[in-house]
Amino acid sequence: MTQRISKYQRFKMMNPIIQFFKFIYLSLKIMFVVASGHGGTRVEKK
Amino acid sequence: MSKILILGAGISGHVAASHLRRKLSKEHEVVVVSPNSNYQWIPSNIWVGIGRMKSKEILFPLAPLYKKKGIGYKQAKAISFFPEGDKNQPKPYVLSEYVAGDKKGQQEKITYDYLINATGPKLNFEATEGLIPGENRTYSVCTYSHADHAWHGLKALIDEMKTGKKVKILIGTGHGSSTCQGAAFEYILNVEQELRRHKVREMAEITWISNEHKLGDFGMDGMLLSYGSMTLKSYEMVEMIFEDRGIKWILGAGVNKIEDGIAHYENLEGSYKTETYDFAMLIPAFSGHGFKAFDKNENDITEKLFKGFMIVDADYTPKPYEEWSVKDWPETYQNPTYQNIFAPGIAFAPPHAISKPRKSKNGTVISPAPPRTGMPSGITAKLVADNIIDTIKSGKESLSHKGSLGNMGAACIASAGYGLTQGSGVSITTYPIVPDYEKYPNTQGRKLGKTFGEIGLAGHWLKLALHYAFIYKAKMRPFWWLIPE
Ligand SMILES: Cc1cc2nc3c(=O)[nH]c(=O)nc-3n(C[C@H](O)[C@H](O)[C@H](O)COP(=O)(O)OP(=O)(O)OC[C@H]3O[C@@H](n4cnc5c(N)ncnc54)[C@H](O)[C@@H]3O)c2cc1C
Repeated sequence: MTQRISKYQRFKMMNPIIQFFKFIYLSLKIMFVVASGHGGTRVEKK
Repeated sequence: MSKILILGAGISGHVAASHLRRKLSKEHEVVVVSPNSNYQWIPSNIWVGIGRMKSKEILFPLAPLYKKKGIGYKQAKAISFFPEGDKNQPKPYVLSEYVAGDKKGQQEKITYDYLINATGPKLNFEATEGLIPGENRTYSVCTYSHADHAWHGLKALIDEMKTGKKVKILIGTGHGSSTCQGAAFEYILNVEQELRRHKVREMAEITWISNEHKLGDFGMDGMLLSYGSMTLKSYEMVEMIFEDRGIKWILGAGVNKIEDGIAHYENLEGSYKTETYDFAMLIPAFSGHGFKAFDKNENDITEKLFKGFMIVDADYTPKPYEEWSVKDWPETYQNPTYQNIFAPGIAFAPPHAISKPRKSKNGTVISPAPPRTGMPSGITAKLVADNIIDTIKSGKESLSHKGSLGNMGAACIASAGYGLTQGSGVSITTYPIVPDYEKYPNTQGRKLGKTFGEIGLAGHWLKLALHYAFIYKAKMRPFWWLIPE
């Protein structure tokens, strides 16, 4: 086992308060990726 | 009035059935044919396989829901396709066989005006000698019953470890052309965390075995992603996680035979090797179901409908990797010969892989098949349903809803451990799913801001929230349709 994630990083990854805000941020960011739609690739835009 | 027949009640079949039923008036018939009487939320099988969820929490019976919503349901499996009907039946139909109840074993010609083939993959365990879930100490988490078995196997192993036995655990892909590396990745991280929870982690050597040539390929040619303020390659991210958790890895491995506790594999260098284990979870190859198709004179026309999976509006011209284009990928999932047949989700034949194809020095294909995850399965099913709805309502063919995997984003929340305060998840979004090297030539075919990774507790909460949201949606509870696919 090689410690690749520092104690400080791990603290940030597992701290419920920081992660609560991350949860909101991630939910919005994922919604943005998903809601930005989908379409074809073949029709050239004029 | 029109009759829409849907084969399969997995993510794509169920999404199509529910949207069709919501948007079409009752004069139109929506019928689902599926052999499994339950709907299952497959992504949560990972947690069933580590004993942190019961299988009943991830499934519900389809028949009562379909009855309440006015969707016809036959617990049967499709056998062969007659898209022109036959000498006695002028309408197109699918020959199906009931698998349960009074009609078990009986066959029926189920006619349709529109057909949605959403039968997903066949879990092709037979492609790897000895790879049988629950035998030879190998397990699978691809269905809830497989995941239940896997947990029993893992639990017995944990008990042995508690008595001081050292063990080897092998998790990854069980064939040179398996896909779904993401599911195996989730399972290995969850197993590792459970061993720590049971305080037996130091008793186990955990190894990842995969047909990917690099970690983090995931059958998607890897990706360049934003990670905090950095730009990382996906292999760097996965390497960091595996090293941090003490997980070893074997790459470029095409597992070809399983004996009790021994996995035989060939690697890209062409060497034949073995790896021993006490517990293995290996994802099998996925294949088409081997359906046959016939014209009205009962001549075999299987090659017009199937190329393993179902043929749709993709460009299947064989080309070298360098000439692959995002434009090869389908947009409407319509069969070019029979325009009332569609295949969303995993059921359509992809034009080619996404990862660069690789062969061993002996010529064996060892590279991942293209993954098609839940989100694109749902999105493609909804757009197929919307095109059918528009066509029925307008009385003329409408294909205005399009969704190529080359112009669609996907979110993949990979669980890295279960627990409200101790859990973790790797949240990755990719845009587009199939890299578009013309549009994004300098960032490995993907848009950087929309292709990002995050690791932490929030990822676990997100995955858990999605579990409840998607089961709510699948149960068609009030305003279910507001939850995106
Ligand atoms: C363990 C695991 C974890 C996963 N985790 C994630 C995740 O976290 N996120 C994500 O996005 N994706 C995930 N996936 C992928 C996701 O589950 C698939 O993309 C999705 O299930 C594909 O949907 P589908 O409807 O095309 O196929 P399926 O869900 O496989 O559904 C196929 C349906 O067809 C039925 N059927 C089979 N044969 C016949 C027949 N002859 N006639 C009629 N019906 C038939 C089956 O009973 C089933 O109802 C995971 C997959 C696995 C295996």
